[in-house]
Amino acid sequence: MISPRALISRSAPLLACLGLLGIWQVAALILNTDSFPTAIEAIRAIPSILGDKESLINILASLRRMAIGFSAAVVVSIPLGLMMGRSRVVASFFNPLLMVTYPVPKAALMPIIMLWLGVGDIAKMLVIFLGVSLPVIYHSFQGAKAVEEKMLWSGAAMGLSAVQRMIRIVLPAALPEILTGCRTGLVLALITMVTSEMIARQSGAGNILFNALDMGQYDTVYAMIIIVGAMGIGLDAAFEKLRGRLVKWSEPGFDIPLSFA
Amino acid sequence: MKVLPSRPDVQVDPAPARGQATAMIEIDGVSQVFQTSGRQNHLALSDISLTIEDGAFVSILGPSGCGKSTLLYIVGGFVNPTEGVAKMKGKAITGPGPDRGPVFQEFALFPWKSVLGNVMYGPRQQGVKPAQAEAQSRQLIEMVGLKGFEHFYPKELSGGMKQRVALARTLAYHPAVLLMDEPFGALDAHTRTRLQNDLLNIWERDRKTVLFVTHSVDEAVFLSDKVVVMTRSPGRIKQVVDIDLPRPRRRAELLLDPRYQKYVVDIERMIDDTSEDELRP
Repeated sequence: MISPRALISRSAPLLACLGLLGIWQVAALILNTDSFPTAIEAIRAIPSILGDKESLINILASLRRMAIGFSAAVVVSIPLGLMMGRSRVVASFFNPLLMVTYPVPKAALMPIIMLWLGVGDIAKMLVIFLGVSLPVIYHSFQGAKAVEEKMLWSGAAMGLSAVQRMIRIVLPAALPEILTGCRTGLVLALITMVTSEMIARQSGAGNILFNALDMGQYDTVYAMIIIVGAMGIGLDAAFEKLRGRLVKWSEPGFDIPLSFA
Repeated sequence: MKVLPSRPDVQVDPAPARGQATAMIEIDGVSQVFQTSGRQNHLALSDISLTIEDGAFVSILGPSGCGKSTLLYIVGGFVNPTEGVAKMKGKAITGPGPDRGPVFQEFALFPWKSVLGNVMYGPRQQGVKPAQAEAQSRQLIEMVGLKGFEHFYPKELSGGMKQRVALARTLAYHPAVLLMDEPFGALDAHTRTRLQNDLLNIWERDRKTVLFVTHSVDEAVFLSDKVVVMTRSPGRIKQVVDIDLPRPRRRAELLLDPRYQKYVVDIERMIDDTSEDELRP
């Protein structure tokens, strides 16, 4: 039996969405211009996009690039960040590099990358890779740096080698922080995915959006924004669920320690 | 002539000479210099020599900053001494190993592992089969008084319970020497007393060699066979006091025992003298 209070807190995200759509609807009705369709018109356009085979292929291609770019970035960034966190030499080499590249918008590199690699998949995946890497490296670095020395000593006393300590102590101990970086990275992957497709307009969700804009199909434009937004919300929620499961041991919730010597 | 064991897994140790206790740990002329942020080098330990016999409970007692923990870390192999050598069973210590099990003030438990997972970690690392490691670990958890908490995570436990887990986790891989670094320093007085009693009960069963760092005179006298009193800056051994009190020790009896009281007062005076030394130019 769910209490009314739990019901409200559980349906809060849904209520927020409905509220937003409501404001949109009212605003669109008041403004009443062609370039700002009402929420209902935009939602009505969604089935025709998702029903169209070509659009679907485009969206799936976008997701594929995003998945590859994100996975590659995570696979490279976590070990690098962990090594930076545990070795002063590695940190002093990569940290300045990181500081310089961190604030550069990765989409701004797109023109140069297009020049080298063309407008195809590789260029877009590279931009996504770059966008995701930095937060994941940074958080892995911070997480590894914060691992208690005595925990590593305890492992060393049990006979764990330096490599084993890295994989079996530093990695799990830093996991909450690493996953925070991955969550930021996931959202950035979606953003760089759409941006890259807006710049290198060849295929993908961003391309559908801009083509519709060129042709004045405003309901499709807004429908695409809803679709991309929903993808972001869905991915983030799924990731949060996974994260919650992986780092249950560090979550608050049973925060009151038992009083017993 | 070298005696080769007939089975490689059976270690043949030369028998110790009769009537002579074997040295488990020998610390020989150890000094430790730390680089400080200023240009000065800080001499933390100066020319420490100490022998710890097999099966002895030895406390290192001193004011904070006297390098007593550093000495323990050197024996643990976590810190390399600037000068001198520490030996374990006659072999120079070059790094950490499962023959020396640390228990830290900070507990240093693996927070992503349950109580059982923490205790099983060492045996599993040493290749003990899961079922056997689990059975042994459950026994140890019961011994430290945490039966029923096997599946709790460290963050769900109080400080005293965490330190019980840390002790069980270290005992689980059967180190020859327990290295305890102010293990009860972070606990409240009541919990501290309970853990001291329980530690003595556990220790009296198998009499492992224990090196115990503390700044509490009561604790050192209550637990130890031998108390090493240290001075500060640089850390030197001021005196080694043999505690000749009968075992098993019961706290209530001991507190009323004039011999116990005399040890405590004598050692406190020694430490006071040390502090006065520092005030002199």
